[in-house]
Amino acid sequence: MRLELGNIDIKEIRFADKSEIKDGVLYVNQEEVIAQVLEDDLIRDAHLEIAVPGESVRITPVKDVIQPRVKVEGPGGMFPGVISKVDTVGTGKTNVLRGMAVVTCGRIVGFQEGIIDMTGPGAEYTPFSELNNLVLVVEPEDGWKPHDYERAARVAGLKVATYIGELARDLTPDETVVYERANLRESFENYPDLPRVGYVLMLQTQGLLHDTYVYGVDAKQTLTTMISPTEIMDGAIVSGNCVSACDKNTTYHHQNNPVIEDLFKAHGKTLNFVGVIITNENVYLADKMRSSDWSAKLAEYLSLDGVIISQEGFGNPDTDLIMNCKKIEEKGIKTVIITDEYAGQDGKSQSLADADPLADAVITGGNANEVVILPPMERIIGTTDFVDKIAGGHDGSLREDGSIEAELQIITGSTNEMGFNKLSAR
Amino acid sequence: MVKEIERAGIPVVHMCTVTPISMTVGANRIVPTVAIPHPLGNPNLPNDEEKALRRRLVDKALKALQTKVDDQTIFE
Repeated sequence: MRLELGNIDIKEIRFADKSEIKDGVLYVNQEEVIAQVLEDDLIRDAHLEIAVPGESVRITPVKDVIQPRVKVEGPGGMFPGVISKVDTVGTGKTNVLRGMAVVTCGRIVGFQEGIIDMTGPGAEYTPFSELNNLVLVVEPEDGWKPHDYERAARVAGLKVATYIGELARDLTPDETVVYERANLRESFENYPDLPRVGYVLMLQTQGLLHDTYVYGVDAKQTLTTMISPTEIMDGAIVSGNCVSACDKNTTYHHQNNPVIEDLFKAHGKTLNFVGVIITNENVYLADKMRSSDWSAKLAEYLSLDGVIISQEGFGNPDTDLIMNCKKIEEKGIKTVIITDEYAGQDGKSQSLADADPLADAVITGGNANEVVILPPMERIIGTTDFVDKIAGGHDGSLREDGSIEAELQIITGSTNEMGFNKLSAR
Repeated sequence: MVKEIERAGIPVVHMCTVTPISMTVGANRIVPTVAIPHPLGNPNLPNDEEKALRRRLVDKALKALQTKVDDQTIFE
């Protein structure tokens, strides 16, 4: 299996009469994009805005962040099972628009979306402040249920990202990176002396707008399974999550999973990257037990020596995390878990809801309860109507001068549990 | 809360869905419930069946409260 990612650097986004990419500049015909979004009856109104790194702009409430990509060679298309047909992706060539993202924003569910500041102290906590963002602001028709509207907003973002990605189909990449994996037999033969390492990627699937989709399948309805890391790069996993902004994995996180990136870099040198196991985080205890049993069974079946486990969200998923860790350790396989902490504003409380002595190698994405002050911004994309209600905010979070006092939880991607952020602890 | 109330000499039953967390925090009497978003009910059931389910859970909890335990116990 071989996937070539051709990175095309986007240095600027401008509105124009014709959508195209020329010399690193993305030109967007707004009307053409919005016409596609408004095809959905649930969306009453939509428009695009551009946010540039360093600009005094606050984007909120942020639903998803998506990187435009296009399948240039090989089977399938972007976001299989959702936008493209369900063919297996992950091989051939894919062009990637590097340095930009499509951000979906607007009145959504309200209380569990996030903030992206493009400058100031808030910008330092989110990796998305460093991208040229094409922001899709959507307004729902009245009378729809939140879960119907969530689907409409999710698909609208993916549609726009696919449309933008398509503009890069015939371009020559600025840089090409090759990701290559052998089958199990060959990989064991090729690297008999290297430790066999796998990755357990936990997906948020608590339902009630906390969902992740794999090839279009709602992952809470699946058993733990395996997927090729290159399939994930081609958009096989998309976020449908309206959970705490700091530690939800947006679609962009899945497309650019840093654990997978680093395992590929180390593959064949210090370790043998054997594969990715995806598992869910459901709200029934029996599901948690079954899914974590399955993670451990697959890890054992793959004859792994070590496993990295990344979590999504917090609270009861801490139990899924600890179950995965404990059961895999009990098979004689070493684990490292990546999580974040809810240790109180003073950092003195217990960090996770669950614990076990076997979870003795932990990487943290930071304490989501830490209080931050975000100064006012000159321009707001979306609306600040929900700042007091978003998880991490409180009554009075939004001050009269437009500044915000809130917990770090409120910032999109700030304590990401794939390690796609800057906070950690030693 | 479970521990503080017991410290005051009143026995407590912790009714919860994720019993491993209850074990970790040190509850002594634990009654497993339905699901995290609806621990003491099930919106998928007709009203009369749901009522019966709720009564079963409360009866079980009351029974647990009257049962002597020597160690952390989950009342399945």
